[in-house]
Amino acid sequence: MQEQSEEKSESTSQQKSVKKSPNFWAETWQRFKGRKMAMLALIYIGFLGFVAVFAPAIAGTKPVICKYKGHIYFPALGYFRRQWENPIFQKDKFRNRYPENLEKKDADSWAIWPLVYQDPYRRVYDDEWKGLPGNPTQETGSPSLRNWFGTDQRGVDVFAQMVHGTTIALLVGFVSMGIAGVIGIIVGALAGFYGKWIDMGLSRLIEVVMCIPTLILILAIIAIIDSPTIWHMMAIIGCTGWTGIARLARAEFMKLRESDFVLAAKTTGIGQFRIIFRYILPNSLAPVLVPITFGIAAAILIESGLSFLGFGAPPPNPSWGTLLNLGRQNLQMWWLIFFPGMAIFLAVLAYNLIGEGLQEASDPRLRDA
Amino acid sequence: MYLVSRLSPLLLTVLLSLLLTGCPGPSTKNGEENSESSEKSESTDDTPPEILLEPFDAPKLADLDAEVEWEKQPVLDSMDLLRERQSKEKQLISVTDALKLKNTNQEINEKILSALGRLPENDEEVNWGATINRHVLADMKSTNPIMGSSAVEFEVSSLTGFGLFSFDWNFIPFAVSDTVVSWQSSKDKLYDKVVLRDDLTWSDGVPITAHDIVFTFQTIMNPKVPVPAVRSGTDQIRWIQAYDDQTLVFFHKEALPTNVWNLNFPIIPKHIYEKELETDPTLQDSEYHVKHENNPVTGGPYELEERVRGQEIILRRRESWYMHNGKEVRKRPYFERVRLRIIQDPNTALLALKKGQIDEMALNPELWKTQTENDDFYNNCTKANGLEWVYFYFGWNCKTLFFEDKRVRQAMSYAFNHDEMLKELCYGLYQPCTGVYHETAWMSPKPMTKPYKQDLTKAENLLDDAGWIDHDGDGIRDKEFDGKIIPFQFTIMTSNRPLSLSICTLLKENLEQIGILCDVKPTEFTVMQEKSRKHQYQAMFAGWGTGTDPDTSVNLWKTDAGRNYGQYSNPEVDALFEEGRREFDKDKRAKIYGKIHQILYEDQPYTWLYFRNSFYGFNKDLRGYVFSPRGPYGYGPGFGSLWKPVSK
Repeated sequence: MQEQSEEKSESTSQQKSVKKSPNFWAETWQRFKGRKMAMLALIYIGFLGFVAVFAPAIAGTKPVICKYKGHIYFPALGYFRRQWENPIFQKDKFRNRYPENLEKKDADSWAIWPLVYQDPYRRVYDDEWKGLPGNPTQETGSPSLRNWFGTDQRGVDVFAQMVHGTTIALLVGFVSMGIAGVIGIIVGALAGFYGKWIDMGLSRLIEVVMCIPTLILILAIIAIIDSPTIWHMMAIIGCTGWTGIARLARAEFMKLRESDFVLAAKTTGIGQFRIIFRYILPNSLAPVLVPITFGIAAAILIESGLSFLGFGAPPPNPSWGTLLNLGRQNLQMWWLIFFPGMAIFLAVLAYNLIGEGLQEASDPRLRDA
Repeated sequence: MYLVSRLSPLLLTVLLSLLLTGCPGPSTKNGEENSESSEKSESTDDTPPEILLEPFDAPKLADLDAEVEWEKQPVLDSMDLLRERQSKEKQLISVTDALKLKNTNQEINEKILSALGRLPENDEEVNWGATINRHVLADMKSTNPIMGSSAVEFEVSSLTGFGLFSFDWNFIPFAVSDTVVSWQSSKDKLYDKVVLRDDLTWSDGVPITAHDIVFTFQTIMNPKVPVPAVRSGTDQIRWIQAYDDQTLVFFHKEALPTNVWNLNFPIIPKHIYEKELETDPTLQDSEYHVKHENNPVTGGPYELEERVRGQEIILRRRESWYMHNGKEVRKRPYFERVRLRIIQDPNTALLALKKGQIDEMALNPELWKTQTENDDFYNNCTKANGLEWVYFYFGWNCKTLFFEDKRVRQAMSYAFNHDEMLKELCYGLYQPCTGVYHETAWMSPKPMTKPYKQDLTKAENLLDDAGWIDHDGDGIRDKEFDGKIIPFQFTIMTSNRPLSLSICTLLKENLEQIGILCDVKPTEFTVMQEKSRKHQYQAMFAGWGTGTDPDTSVNLWKTDAGRNYGQYSNPEVDALFEEGRREFDKDKRAKIYGKIHQILYEDQPYTWLYFRNSFYGFNKDLRGYVFSPRGPYGYGPGFGSLWKPVSK
């Protein structure tokens, strides 16, 4: 990476002074930082990441840390993986009701509870938490002090569902675009670097894949697979969404393969793959990152759309789109539409702003625009 | 007066397909949302054998009369029957007051029904030129009544079709006096003799005779004719012989008290269909059949006036039905036109109801509870509900490792939070269900079985007893089979409707509390049907409608029976069903079926959940709706009792 950055900086530094110029990515980052909206969006995505990681500590009905019969446990980890919740609680017949049972079964126990005592998978029942009444069900569950974003028809807290749904929203974007990025860059790189019949073949492949409607493919696959999960969905979005990335990568590679530093590398006898991945790729990455960020936004929308249609994450996994779907069935429950709708809107907007910021920061022609 | 759609076995056929997805109910009532699958019916999918009907040498009528001891059977007019019933019922409130009421509890519901559900006092009250706009969820595929397989098709053929038999709200069968002069059964129920009226004509003026019925029967049993649904039940008849234009004898295969339910099938005109039956047995493809598909010759009170595919079906009252040689020989149907409007989305349909574009629709509980409360609904409409014998259940596949033990199945029923489901998820609108028969049915056991209540400790103990203990200490119960430890983790299959999903999710939550993992899998309708038929599932959430005779549930419970999806097998139940269908004494039959109910309750091959009532919204102009255990239309007179008053 350094080699080419130096190459590049050499050309720019000629006009300026001999001072060692910063590397390309640092420079891009500098410019990106200058864009308020993009920075705000980046911070927002960071915040969502934080929420996703700490979801069980923000909303849940299992203690984050508790001491029970002389040992320290972290039952809240059970929200990530069931196996991480110590089986002692099942053995002692806690029946997923911690507050009451901790006290009853071990008087010396203590616990640190999540910020909000609400469960994303089930309704909180009467007297579960210090004598408070259970969640309202049906259309009566409007936002209140106890249910910040209201409850759905089943009486499950919307806030808790949204907090836990953040994981899916973020994962869908990153995983599917990760897959798309890898496929897209490799295909684009090969096509752009080798040209001729390889380019011809791969370009046609790109066109063929572009013709496949993602949504319909997902619906078809869901019908075939025995137990479809969110991961299948991500894989499909990834496997069909790489065409734009591949085309951009191809164009970049075509441009760069003729440049001097590649020629220099070739003459020194460096292997083709090393040239592709160590020399050209880092230089072509900036334009490719832009469609990836936009792709993340699109993936979130596709996931929400699928959940909205009822083909998303299997129940009762919380997802923003699923909540929207619940709201569609009962329009009076505006909170089922407003909060998840806003969350989807903001997340998509943030990714788009980041993408735009990145584009402007990395493209010298747009630099001062 | 109207041909009520096919009875017992067929009803189950239709209902199954409909209820699995919770889409429109049987021919005579509209269920809930989701219309896509209403056209599909679990039909006779197995390829029919080459010959369905062996030739039969019918004995001479005189010989038969000499040999058989005939018993007179009732020939009734369902409208008179209803009028008689209503004359004994008190009208609790005046019509004007009833129209002002808001239906918020059962007491008010009864008041509304007692006033608005009445037949007209006299003919002057009725607006004879009225049109009723009915709501249906999907278009029909065929106007030929024997090709019917979906709710809408049976709905239409119940109006345009001509039939000999009907049954009342208590499911007591009778011959219809509109079409039948006399009906006699042999003492052993092996033969039925029916004499038709001689003043019946098809809509093209040709008289309806006994030969039409024989022809229809032979067509239905013709393996070349692709009859989707009507064949089941009818195939239990050995032969039908017409001795003259009016006299018919039905020969049954076995002497069973349930034979009467097989007599009723839709009838098609012989003079139309015999012409091209041989050249085109599909009855659909040839030009000739297409012509008659678009302009069917019908025998019932209504005839097809117009049909706009995907939008509406308009039926017109047929003068030649109630008039014969210038005299009114039958009661004139109350509506001049019946317009069936096809609206798939329930919310859109509700808007149409509020605006008065449709006069009636089935409401789902959500709509009943949340969108029909205010004045914008009560301006033009009112609503009523009635008990219906349609139950929903968790079905356990008894041949899987998990559910082969009855204690496990009982534990499932104890683990589930029934109260939460009834009160919160079902809006408190449904009654709990404890078994195959409804409390108010004559065949239910006395005393009635008690609904299960959630009791996690009991459930845990039962599971412990059955050997499902957490051996490996991972928090999930497991059991050793052939040296392998199997964790208790199963999948429950359900339709993709919100209520089904909520109920299954509640089960998941409850089972997790006692160390069982349950995955909820929303499954598309056809896939679900396929899998249940092949027994490729562990548990499922679905519903069954009721047949008219308790014997109709035999195909759910008998070992290896067609719809015994859970592969339940109990020799005692098998024997009792056999005994029940051969017992002619009604009280003894009731005891037998009560026993079956109790055994099934004890074995819990299903966890019975609730009875789904029928909920309807009606225009304020409509009168005469009476609910039966099959909804407001699925019996005699059913739709025939609806009328509109003269506007003042």
